[in-house]
Order: sequence, then structure tokens, then C-alpha cells
Amino acid sequence: MGPAGMAAFVAFVVGVTTILSLLLGDNPALFGAGPGSDELARRLALPGDVLLRLVAIVIAVSIVIGIANLLFVHVGRLARGKIYSAVMLASFAFTMYWSITNKGDASLLEAVQVPIESALAALLFVSLALGGSRVMQKRADIWGLLFVALVLIVLLGSLPLAELAPVKAWSDWLMAIPVSAGARAILLGIALGSVVAGVRALLGQDRAYRG
Amino acid sequence: MSEEFNWLDYAEPEESAPAPSPRRGLRRFLPRAPGLPRLPGRPRMPGRPRLPRLPGLSRLPRLPRLSIPGRGRVDSALEAPTAPDLLGLQDERPLEELDDRLRSLRERAATGSQAEADSGQALYDVDEVLVSPEILHKPGGVISAAALSKAQEQQVELLKDIVGGAGQAEATGGRRFLPSGALFSLSAVPRLIGSAVLCLMVSLPFVSSNFSEGQLPPSEFDEDRPGPTTVYDLLDNLTADDYVLLAFEYGPAAAGELDAIADLFLRHIVAQRAKPLIVSSNPIAVVHAQNIIRAINRSVAASGNDLQRGRDYFILRYLPGGSLGLRELSENFADVARVSHKGELTGLEFDSLEEMAAIVLIAERAEDMRNWAEQVVSEVGSTRLLAASGYAAAPLAQVYADSMEEIVGLVVGYRDAYTYGEKLQLNFGPLLPGAYETGVDLAVEPAAQDEQPSDVDAQVERAPATELPPPTEMPSPTVPPSPTARSLPTTTPRPSNTAPPQATVPPAATATPDNIRVVEVVSPQQVRIRRGPSTAEDILQLALAGDMFELIGANADGSWYQIALSNGLEGWIAEFLVEVNEVTMAAFQAAQSSASARIPDERVFLWREFDVSLGKNRPRYYQVNTPITGDIPEYVLLRDRSQEVPRLGAMTFGTLAAVLVIAVGNIFYALGALRRRRAADGGWRG
Repeated sequence: MGPAGMAAFVAFVVGVTTILSLLLGDNPALFGAGPGSDELARRLALPGDVLLRLVAIVIAVSIVIGIANLLFVHVGRLARGKIYSAVMLASFAFTMYWSITNKGDASLLEAVQVPIESALAALLFVSLALGGSRVMQKRADIWGLLFVALVLIVLLGSLPLAELAPVKAWSDWLMAIPVSAGARAILLGIALGSVVAGVRALLGQDRAYRG
Repeated sequence: MSEEFNWLDYAEPEESAPAPSPRRGLRRFLPRAPGLPRLPGRPRMPGRPRLPRLPGLSRLPRLPRLSIPGRGRVDSALEAPTAPDLLGLQDERPLEELDDRLRSLRERAATGSQAEADSGQALYDVDEVLVSPEILHKPGGVISAAALSKAQEQQVELLKDIVGGAGQAEATGGRRFLPSGALFSLSAVPRLIGSAVLCLMVSLPFVSSNFSEGQLPPSEFDEDRPGPTTVYDLLDNLTADDYVLLAFEYGPAAAGELDAIADLFLRHIVAQRAKPLIVSSNPIAVVHAQNIIRAINRSVAASGNDLQRGRDYFILRYLPGGSLGLRELSENFADVARVSHKGELTGLEFDSLEEMAAIVLIAERAEDMRNWAEQVVSEVGSTRLLAASGYAAAPLAQVYADSMEEIVGLVVGYRDAYTYGEKLQLNFGPLLPGAYETGVDLAVEPAAQDEQPSDVDAQVERAPATELPPPTEMPSPTVPPSPTARSLPTTTPRPSNTAPPQATVPPAATATPDNIRVVEVVSPQQVRIRRGPSTAEDILQLALAGDMFELIGANADGSWYQIALSNGLEGWIAEFLVEVNEVTMAAFQAAQSSASARIPDERVFLWREFDVSLGKNRPRYYQVNTPITGDIPEYVLLRDRSQEVPRLGAMTFGTLAAVLVIAVGNIFYALGALRRRRAADGGWRG
């Protein structure tokens, strides 16, 4: 068994152990009503619990590694003359200095990051509106027309204007029936996709852990 | 043509490297996963033992191995990244950031002859690697063997664009940026106009109060949507010993939409003297929550106190790992609650999440809602989840709220936050020290202030019933002036946004200027004063025998009396519980003062008959007689509301602008398409 096969084998064993631990550990009733059933369930739950906590710890450590990697990458880019990497490194150093000297003051977050990200979110509104205005440019057929009509109905229905009460009724129906059905379908798809992804990982078809 | 470029040589430039395994199709473009350097003299692993071949297996017909771009075989997952990923990554990026192999191919193509470029052969090797020679030479050619989808064709075009030779590099300076002048080309004019219209209409409500079309959100949630009301009532029934897990699952991008509801939830919980435990699986959200509390503390500063971390609220440590972190929260809550976000010990000792009075989730994405519903709520059983989300996540979040009984309510977006704040102001308004009068004064424009009807002043005067700091102690910036009077609290606490029951003055007694008509409670039992003339209405206050209230009116059949409460609200009491009398003002005021002495001992505002269990074996949550004697809870509800109406106006005008831009743009393009099609074949084709 080569290294790849060994990794797949370890992943399979850990995955199956976690699943069994979660399934059996949460259901002491499976072991009858005897005095030892709770203790048995607790013991069975332990491996899964430990593994999941290990994963959380690993992910937390990976954040630190990710930050270090980011710094190394930008130091390398700076060596190649990338000026934006210098800005990034300077921002990192200043934020670290500010947080340490001001005992965790997070005013920089409110003063810089929140306005910037909020502005980007606001740009999304402009982009969507302009994109919506060009639907018929890209697809001038009955489906494009239907799409635009539905968009306009939902937008008009969201307006707090009494004159648009009939449109609001249509909008509410759209949100309650087709949109809700679509949302449920998406959730079903996510659930099925999660199951398939889990099975593929267990069987070694997906080996993202190889990096 | 220059020398032939050999991909296999490029993939393995080291002379000593062993010959790589042959690669087919687009996989030849992909970078090989960097292997570990092989140490000299390292013993090689023995080969995998081969299973004996089954007899007759070799006689089975072999399926053709298609190598279609963008559609690798199953084992292509071993070769990360995939071709579509690679192509997607290269889109709209400077050439120098291209993958080395693609850049090398481009440079090699640039050295090709012009004749080859003109004949479409500049991308030598590409055609061969995109289409397997086996397929190419089959009868019918490529079309019969494999047809590319539109997305795959776009990827091929993108690949050709990327490796397209020196001519393009010279024209664009080696970067795939817009050519100069494109921004001001005619095609950009509609976008510029649309952007200008959108920005202008969104900005107008902030410039002038004249631009505030549309109705403000109501001060009560819609009866068709019981969820938000349930959220409010659950938080309103918290008591001083309660702990509430408040999950901040949103980042700075959603702060503009969700900060308002997060602020209101925090204020409401603190006002109930409960203690919020803030937690998040988003590290930035943890820091952001701290900043929101700092903003609240600026409101509390007038009382000379502030919310203290570790006493009035707690921020727990960050939960790494997304859904895994949330699972750890539900399974090992005792450990999570012991450590703050700064690594300090919180001193909190809990056994499980079931000790939380409620779990409040503010989620930016539906995925956060799903994670909490699956990893946390399903594990704690009896504790209920109250949720808030933005508009974008609402369709999916609403499905969870409707499907899971553990999720008892969902508050969506800024308009619901406005209603929540109005409800909070309505129910706590009379308790606010001086803020009520301040809000009233500022709500009326200076020019019209003198013309307000006298009943406004009369109602304001009787509003504060409890001993509270004088209005002068309040900081003026807390409630700044508003450009319009419509948004701020009205002079009278509104019992309901719905039309109030029609009251008629009972004909039994007539008041003289020195006397006042009152109802006096005669029932020996504690009686309930309700919001409307029905036992189904909310209970506003409790009253005992001997209590007097000013009589305002009665319902049509005279079975209920409308009375003025000492806290400024107007309530209804059943006729058979009281007697209508006429007493002097002095006697009435004496009765009022003796009655008000009892009020601070009871939490008497808005006690709904609420039957949603907040926790297994925790019946004390039904108790609502919470003393309010401190300073912080009253002050913590004072908010700066000056930007609420402009924001709501901007939402309305922005939506109108979007409707305008989308409608006009599509009409324009549809007419253009129609004209072109008529010119082409004389008719519309759907």
C-alpha cells in the first residue's frame, strides 16, 4: 500500500469511526435499558467527540499557518517588486501594532473594514440592477421576458406603497410558493450533495486531504 | 515554425528526473503536484502486489476513453486543480500571474510564424490536446464523438485568448485590461446613466426629508407573521437570572443590514436584566460584537455606568471549524463558556446549553442558519432558537423557521428591525428617563411645536410614573434632531398600530372642572388591564381593589371601560370589575400615588399570556414580575434613531430606481432585438 492508499485507508477508518461513534453514542436506548447502557454509549461517543475536537483544534491552528503563509507569499512578491504586497504587509504590521498597544481596541475594524465591505456590498446592488437591465440584451426571448417580469413584480411588491397592494399580493405568492419550493429544493440538493461528498471521501474517491 | 515544444520536457525540466507517466488531453496542461524531493539512496517502496487476472477478462470489449476538455475522468480529482478551475483562475488576470505552463505556451506561440498565426495554427499543440487524436480520426470527426457545451467552448476561447501570441500582448501591454477609452465608449453610456440614477435616488432621502415616499414599517408585526412577535415576546419574558446565547454570525459586509437588529436584541436582553453570552464561528464577528456593545455603552454613559464585560455581558471564545465548532459548542458548552474571546476565564459554570433561556441567532447566510439548526438546536432539544437574517438569506432561512419547531421566530431585515425598535420604544417608553419627553420635543418641528394640541402635553405630563432621573441629565446627542417628524416616537405610546377600538363616553357621570370621572377597582381579586376590550388582548397592567384610573370612554355595549394608566398607556378594563365614580382631583391623585407605590415592585408592562416553553423544567420563565430598579436597563434603550427614516427612504427610492433601470434597460434592449430580428427575418421569435 502506497502513501496515497495509506492516507485513504486512514481517512476511511477515521470517517467510519466518527460516524459510528456519533450514531451509537447518541442513542443509549440501542443498548437496552440496563444500567450499563449509558456508560457504554458514553464510551462509544468518546472517539467521535475526541476526533471532532481535534478537527476544531487543527482548523484553529491552520488559521495561524494561513496567516504565516500569507505573510511569506507577500514577502516573496515584495522581493519581486510587487508594490501592493508592501501595502498589505504594512497594513498587517500596523494593525498588529495598534491592537497590541491599544489592548485589543477594535476601532480599526469599524473605521476601515466595515465601511469598505459595506461599500462593496452596496456595489453589488448597483451591479445587480445594471445586470438586470441587460437581460434582454443577452437573451431576448420569452424566458428573458418572464425573468424580467418576475424581478419587477418582486421588487415592486417589496415597496411600502399602498398603491402597489395588488402587486404585493403577487409578490407574496411568488415568495411563498415558487421561491419557497426552490429554496427547499436547494436544501434537498445540499443534503444529497453532502451525503455524496461524504461517501466519496470515505471511499477514497475524493482525496482533498492530499493537498 | 520554430522548434517543436515538448510538454513532457517542460513538465520535467530536471535531467535526472524520471520520465513522467504519459498524460492525455487537457491534463497535459495541468501542473503536476509537487512531489517531495527524493533523498539519495532512499529505498523504494516495493510495488503493490498485483491480483491475478481473471480468466477471460482481457476478452471483454474496452470502452473508448474519451478525453473531453473540462470533463476529466473520475480519477482527475487526484490532479488538483481541474482544468475548469485553472481556466477560471486565469480569467482577467495580468499575464505575469499566469500559470507558468500557460505563460510558456503563450511565449512559444508568440514565436511562431505569422503564417501559422493567420492560419489558426498559432496554438499548435492546443488542438491536439483539446481533442484526442483517437477521436479526431474517427469517422465523423470531433462532432460525432464529443460536442462541447457552451461553457466548455467559452473555456476553450478563454484558453486561446490567454495563450494567443505576441500580437495581443503588444496591444494590451501584456495585460488583459480594458483597452484605453473603453470606459467612455458609447456602450458604457447606459451603464453610466443607470449607475447615476441609482446613486442619486439612494442619496436623496439623506439630503432632504422631502424625499421620503412610502409608509414606515408598522409599530406592530403583521399578524400573518407570528414569528417576529414570538421573538419579541420571548425576549420580553426574560428575567434577571437568565442567560441568553447570542450568536453573531455575520461579518462586516452585512453590518449595514444586521447591526440594527443585533443592537436591539442586545438592548432588549440587557433591559430585561438578563445576560447575553455572545458567541460566533466568525472571528471578525466576535470583534464586531464588542464594538456594538461599545456603541451601546455610549448610550448608557448618561447613567454614570456602563455595561461591563463579565458582569452584564460575556463574549465567549471564537468557535473554529464552522459547523464542527458549533457541534463542539453544543456538546461541550461547559468548556466553551469558561473562556472569553480574550482567553480569560469567564467564571461561568454551565452543564449544557439547556440552561440557556433562549438562543438568539443573527445570521448573514442561510448556511449559518442551517449549521445552527443542525448542529446546535437539534442537540439541545428544549431551548428555543430565535433567529434574525438579512433579506438575501430570508428565503432559505424562512424554510428552516417554518420546518423546525425549535426555531420559533424569524426577524428579517431592516424593516423588521424598525418595527422591533418601535415595539420596544412603545413598551418601554414610559420607563425611559426623560427620553420620552426629549423624543417628543424633537419629533415636532420647531415651527409647529406651539401649535400642537393640548392633549399631547397632557399625555406627556402623565407619562413618567416611576422615580427616574430628570430629563436634564440626559445627554442631548442621544436623541438627535430628525429631519422629519414622522419617524420619531409619537407623543403618546401607541397601544397598537391597528385602529383602536371605538370608545364612547359613558353617559353615567358628568365631570365638573374640579372633579374627575374615574373607575375604581372593586373586585377582591387582582384584575387585569388589557390592551383592548377583549380577554384575548394583551395584559398591560395588573390592578388591585381600590385602584383608581381616569375614565376615557367605553366600548359600544358598555362592557369594557377605556382608562388612562399612570404610565401613559391607555388600557381597557371589564365593566363588572369596577365602579364608575366622580371624585375630586386631589382624591384621585392621592389614590394614584398610593397605587404607584406598588408599581416598582412589579414588572407590569405587556405581560402576554405566553405558552411557549423556554426550557425544560424551567417554569420560572413564565414569571414576569421582574423588578426594574436599576439605572442601566432604562438607559440602555435610548437609541439614536435619526437615521432610521432616511435609511428606509433610501431603501424605497433605491428599489424604485432599480425597477426603473431594469424596466427601461430591458425595454431598450428588447426593442433593439426586435428591430434586428425584423430586419433579419421579418418577425419576432420567442
